[in-house]
Order: sequence, then C-alpha cells, then structure tokens
Amino acid sequence: MITNIEEVGPTITELFSNERGRATPGSLTRRDFLASSAIAGGGLILCGVFHPSIAEAATKDDGKPIALNAWVRIGLDDTVTLIVSQAEMGQGILTTLPAVLADELGADWKRVKLENSPADPAYRNPARNWQFTGNSESTTAFFDFLRTMGASAREMLIAAAADRWKVDPASCYSESGKVFHRPTKRSSKFGQLVQAASKKQPPAHPRLKEQSEWRLLGKSLPRVENPAKVNGTAVFGLDFKIPGMLYAAVRSSPVFGGKVVKLDKSSVSRFPGVIDVVQLSFQLPFPIPDGVAVVAESYWQARRALEALKIEFDDGTNASLSSATLKNQYRAASDGSDWLLVHSTGDKDILPHSYPNRLMGDAGASPALPQRPSGTALPTIVSEEYGSPFLAHATMEPMNATAQVTADGCDVWAPTQGQELAQLAVAQLLGLPREKVRITRTLVGGGFGRRLIPDFVAQAVVISKAVGRPVKVIWSREEDIQHDFYRPAVYHRLTAGIDEYGRLKALAHRLVSPSILQFVFAPAVTETYDPSCLEGLLETHYAIPNTRVDFKMLKLPLPTSVMRTTGYGPNIFALESFIDELAYRKGQDPYQYRRDLLSESPRGRAVLDLAAEKSGWKTPPPPGRFRGIAFCEAFLTVTAHVVELSVPAEGRIKIHRIVAVVDSGTILDRGITANSIEGGTAWGLSCADRAEITFDKGRVVQGNWNDYEVLRMSQMPPVEVYFIDSGARPLGGTGEVGPVTAIPALTNAIFAATGRRIRSLPLSHHGLGLT
Amino acid sequence: VDPNTPLLWVLRDTFGLTGTKFGCGIAQCGACTVSLEGDAVRSCVTPLSRAAGKRVTTVEGLSKQNTHVVQQAWLAEQVPQCGYCQSGQLMSAAVLLAKIPKPTDADIDDAMSGNICRCGTYHRIRRAIHRAAELATRK
Repeated sequence: MITNIEEVGPTITELFSNERGRATPGSLTRRDFLASSAIAGGGLILCGVFHPSIAEAATKDDGKPIALNAWVRIGLDDTVTLIVSQAEMGQGILTTLPAVLADELGADWKRVKLENSPADPAYRNPARNWQFTGNSESTTAFFDFLRTMGASAREMLIAAAADRWKVDPASCYSESGKVFHRPTKRSSKFGQLVQAASKKQPPAHPRLKEQSEWRLLGKSLPRVENPAKVNGTAVFGLDFKIPGMLYAAVRSSPVFGGKVVKLDKSSVSRFPGVIDVVQLSFQLPFPIPDGVAVVAESYWQARRALEALKIEFDDGTNASLSSATLKNQYRAASDGSDWLLVHSTGDKDILPHSYPNRLMGDAGASPALPQRPSGTALPTIVSEEYGSPFLAHATMEPMNATAQVTADGCDVWAPTQGQELAQLAVAQLLGLPREKVRITRTLVGGGFGRRLIPDFVAQAVVISKAVGRPVKVIWSREEDIQHDFYRPAVYHRLTAGIDEYGRLKALAHRLVSPSILQFVFAPAVTETYDPSCLEGLLETHYAIPNTRVDFKMLKLPLPTSVMRTTGYGPNIFALESFIDELAYRKGQDPYQYRRDLLSESPRGRAVLDLAAEKSGWKTPPPPGRFRGIAFCEAFLTVTAHVVELSVPAEGRIKIHRIVAVVDSGTILDRGITANSIEGGTAWGLSCADRAEITFDKGRVVQGNWNDYEVLRMSQMPPVEVYFIDSGARPLGGTGEVGPVTAIPALTNAIFAATGRRIRSLPLSHHGLGLT
Repeated sequence: VDPNTPLLWVLRDTFGLTGTKFGCGIAQCGACTVSLEGDAVRSCVTPLSRAAGKRVTTVEGLSKQNTHVVQQAWLAEQVPQCGYCQSGQLMSAAVLLAKIPKPTDADIDDAMSGNICRCGTYHRIRRAIHRAAELATRK
C-alpha cells in the first residue's frame, strides 16, 4: 500500500494540466486516431456493461470490425460500432454523443452498436486533455471533435466508393449505412467499403454537415438505455457481479481526519458469512477517511457484522468543529480586510470600501493602496448579505465499486465520472503502471459531481487486494451523506451604487468560500483563487458601468468539491436576489428592470422576453398567485425561470407553474434537454426548500433522507421548458443549468407574495416550506 | 438465508434480481419498492420472514419485453434520467393503478411521495401514470 503521495502525486497533477497540449482533430495522425491497442480489441461491449454476463459479451467476436478511427468501427456485416467516452448518469449523453457521430457518418441509427471507452488518452475531453464527465461540457467539448471524427470516417468510406465506381467523391454521399452515387443512384453498404476505406489517409479537415442535413440531432431521440431502465436489466455499479465476488460494508471515521485506534477483528469473526475485516488507512491526493471494512459472502452479512464490530476512533484535531465554529470562520473572513480583487470594470473604487485593493498576482503581503473617501461618487448605496448552505450530493445510488486485484493488474467496474483519475489513483495505490489498471464504467445512478473523486473505488481495490478476491464495496446511505465532498457554503455581500436618477451605476460582490475544484481540477486552483467559486460573477450580460468582485478563499478541515451548479448556484442566487431587491427599491417591475440592464445583450433579452411571454408576465396572475423571475448565463447557456406560486397558509409555499427558457446555442436533443431542465428545476427546489448539511462535534449531523430532505412528488409543480436556437457557439451545457435560476426565481416570487426577502437558504430556516 | 434478512438483499444477492435497488435502508426513498400481495412495500425493511409464502412482484416481474402499461407509458414519456429510482417508481405506480385505475393528481401525490427521484423526473412520472391509466382502459 502506498502512503508516500509525493512519489506519484505529481503525475496526477501533471495530467490535469492544460499545458500538455490540446488534442485537436486536425493535428491527429493516423496513429493517434488508433491511439491505443486497447481500442481495437479491448473495450467492453456496452451491452456487456448493462447486462450481468459481462464475460460473455467481452469475448463475443462479431465479424472483426475495422476501426476507421478511435471512435468508429465498422464490421464486414455493416454493423457500425461507436465508442462512448462519457459516463451516462442521467444526462442522456449515451444517446446524444453517438448521435453526433452517426449523423456525420450517415449511419443507420437503428443498427448502431455502442461500446464503452476504456480509460485511454484517446478518449479525453479534447478541451481539457483529461478523461472525465462533468462541468456540463460533454457536448460543449466533444461536439465539433466528434463531428470531425464521424465526418472523417464518412469521407474515407466515400473515397473508397468513388475509387470503386471511378467517380468524383463529390458526387457521392452517405445515408442509412450506405454510400450513394447521386447521378447513377448506385450504392454500396458500409461493410463492403470498410476494408478499402481503412487504407485511406484520414482527412484532417473533413466537411462537417450543415444543420439542415442532420437526421438525428435536433430531434427527440428515445434514450438508448431506457428500455433496460424500465424492466430492471440496466446494470448500475451496484448491480455488477462477477463470479466469486465478496461484499464489503465500510465505516469511516465519523470525524474528518480521525483515525482507527482500536480494532477487535475477533468481535465479528464468528458472524455468519464473514471472511475478513480490513482496516482502511491509505492516502491519495484527496482526503480519504480512515476506516474499516467487513468482508462477507453477502452484503447483509457484512453489514450486520459491521454494526457489531468493536472499533474505536481517535477523533483527532477536528473534534470540536461545528456549524457554529464554521460560521465564525466565515464571519471572520467576511469582516477581514485581506480580499483578493479578482475582477473589476470601470472605476473599481467608486463604491466605498475599507480594505486595500489586493490584485491578482500580488504575492505576499497586501499592498496598502490609497482609498477614495467613502461614498463620494454615488448618492445611494444599498448593501445586503446572502448565504447558501453546505449540501450533499445524495445520489440515489450510494457510492459503490467492484474491484478485482490479480497478479496481472487490477480491474474495476464502477459508476464513476472520473475514469482517468480512478485509473491513476488505483495505479498509485498498487504501484502498477496505468495500463495494468482497467476501469470500466457502469451506468451511474446519479453523479452530480460526487463521482469525479474515486475514494470509493480506492477502497474496493484495497479490500480486494487484502482478501485476494473480487470485492464489491457498498456504502450505507449514512456513509454516503456523512463522507461526501460537500458543496461548500458561500457567504456574499453585495453592494450597489445608484445615481440620482435611480440608475444602477456600480455593483460590488464580495464572497467567501472554500475551494470547489481543489480535488477534481487542481491546476486551476491557487492558495487564494479558485475560478469555480467565481462563476457567474466575472462576466454578466447586465450593463453596469462599474463592477468589482472580491474573493476570500477559506481553508476548512472538511472536504468540499463540485456539485451540480458549482459556483453558479450560490452566486446567481445572491446576484439575482439582489437585482430583484434593486428593482423593487426603484419601484420598477423586476422583469423590466432586468430588461433595461440587458440593453447590450440581444441574446439575453430574447431569453428574458420569451420567459415573460410564456409565463404571461405582462398580465396579472390569478388572484392569490405571485410571480418571480431570474436570469443568467451559466455553463455558456443563457437561461431564465419564472415561478408562479401562492401561500395557502402561513409558511406554506405552493408552486403552481414554472416556465424555463434555455438558449444553449443549438439544442442537440430536445426531449433529453427538456427532461434535464425539468429535473434541474426540481434539483433547484430541493436545494432551496429544506436541504442542508450541518456539523457538530466534528461530524455531519444528517445521515439519511429523513433529515436530509429533498423534493418529493407532492411538491413538484409542472415545468414548461422553451428553447431558443440562437446558433451561438460554442454550445452551452444543459446538465447543470436548470437549478441555477430556479432558486432565485422561487425566492423572488416569495418576496412578491409575502414581502419577505429570502437572503439565505434553506427556506426552512425562515419558517417556510414547499408544499 | 437468515429469515431476518431484508427481502431486498435476498432478491438481489440470492435470486440475482438486481432491478430492485438499495437507496436508504430505512424506508425513506422507495428505491426498493416491490409488490407484496398487491401492496407496495419497501423491501429494505421487510424481513424475509414476512414475505415467506407470499406473492412478491419485482420490476422484472412487470414484463421482460416492456409490455406492461406502466413500462410502455414510462418509455412513451421518456421518464428516466439516471434511472436508478425508476424500478421503485414503476412498482409504486403499478400498485397504484391496480388499486385505482384512474388516479387523480392527489392520488398520485399520496401513492408516489414515498419514492424519491434525485434527477427530478416527478413531472414526467405524473404524466406517465395518467398515460398508463389511459393505455389500460384501451387494452
């Protein structure tokens, strides 16, 4: 077991780096296209991952398909196999990205087979040079790349057909798995052409199809895996099985950083089915709690024994951590003066501030820059504080992984978003070269960012190695909620400067947060700066002449990381609430106030206007109902929500209707995206209503759905989703954008209904709740 | 198998019926919902002894070919996102429709609020249940 992280840690860091050169389609050689021998023969057939008999599927050999590049393989029997590099966790990527390839190729969608990519550099996100699924960027980053791959394969097939017919390739086209010669209507199936095509040089700059030529994209395709998701045959990580597999139940130190100090293995050695007790004490470049695993023939046996296991933890230095001590840390930071000025436009000192301007790149001590006398420039200053709480991901599928360590290396089957980080982490743990570590993605029962970090994978590997057999680790729900990498709480102070005509002339935003990207994209993070914490604040569609953003990054002794909406969620809640306050303060309609601020953003205005139109904003709501609106750009997508609600009884909020408008440039799949926005809206309501992680005696207080409460059916309003196809590029992401404006639209509607401005979440803190 | 073992783990680990999911272990999320003699029960807290000799239907028992009306409606509405909770949602819906062939929205709230979906597909689940009720009357 490796405990010296210095040895291999830098390798992981290096691989995160963007400095290693972007993989662009034009620069790829044929060898790069076929970058790894693992591609041609290695990847597991996807149906093998979705059905239990994985060994059977992996050994099936149907006609020796020929690879035209790393993403497209065609069999002599015309079967088109497309490779999927991204984890399917509900966002529909298993359908949409293959459709991108198939549309360019001219494949017959009904006859396409999908195959899971191995962990391999060929399948990295081309914008990050790193293999992962997250940041709402699977379509953004892969769209043009995969179009190029599909088009390149198409042109190779067409070149082979043109040779055969001795015609101009420009007179040929592909459709439904065949190449056609337009003038003579001759055709050849892909299978008849693939051998000759594979000898052609892959074109570096193939012609990409116009949107009018798309047959699959822009429609609503049925998801490829949905039939298996409604009859119980879909294989999630929890469901994957291999012969001889044992089950492990784990308990980690309840206090962050605690250690196992006493472990009486004999206390459970006679329990039925128990095989072994394994102490978990190892390090990786992300926090792994000390703990213990009970290994047994069945999961329930392991879990019963774990409950009876005699074990003692030393709580270590964090035993007194609590929500109160954390609040003091946030308060001290917000009252302090060591802010980092991360962004400004216009006159950064037009609003009064009592701290020096410490600029990005200033090392060491803060320079004491001269300050303006306070409040001289603008007659009206408005200032308010906002806050969002710590949250847990609470995916429906608890953390789990299956590992088999053998003399030949290590195999892992896991619901992971971080295939490459998992491979590197396991290689480090076992002291193996990365090629000896094979990470197979299963379907993912909810990711939301949690499964980028392979802590649960590492546990399975350590336990399998210890017992010498394949092992599936399954976390209890309590382990899952109490050993998460949490969405950090964020503190904000917003200050506005208003001129004598009531115009918003200056906006200052100060925020305090721990790092978000530290464990999933470390090179982007410095001691004082994390770009994810600032999302939504450094660029805005609103025309405000003087702006500044000051940031203070907290160091906390608890793990924080990305969660669906990342920085956008808390930041846009604060910003859009404050904008709403300014509108009411001015006595102006909050839609019209935003519209005026969007004077320089036609794209923003179009989204806001459609939200107003579809929600009937300009006509009064039915008696007793009230509306709230919010707008932003997040993940390159411009979006707005309107929430319509009533207050049937004191403290009870009933939402009747929600309208969402989304402009992500071009919607690649309307049905899948609509579902994502509907669900994202529900996620936002969950974040707003009751959900909150609190801490006491160094521990997370919540443990299950009874005290970490999320949205349920009876609370769910109808959601209408409208799209604007502005054609903007790059494409925006749509996986995480849904919640971002849903939250402030809700709290703004609550203000419209009750006159109560909600400046901190959850609503339950204010005696309010969704009903 | 120990008769105190929850039905969930017997179904999954002994019978290999992995369609029924583990979500919480305390009957809070409904991912493990099965039909026991026509009632929706949370198999994670139902000891094997309570199910002995009784008729248990899991999601696999609705139909393999997706011919059951709730499966058809779920596909028509493209309900699932991650899909992990959907086995339990389908079973709660199937039990609801067997008891109330034309459920109202309030009936759906009552029957389905024990099933959590973190992807937030509730809106489509509601539509799918109404659609399944329609399909059932046509059959």
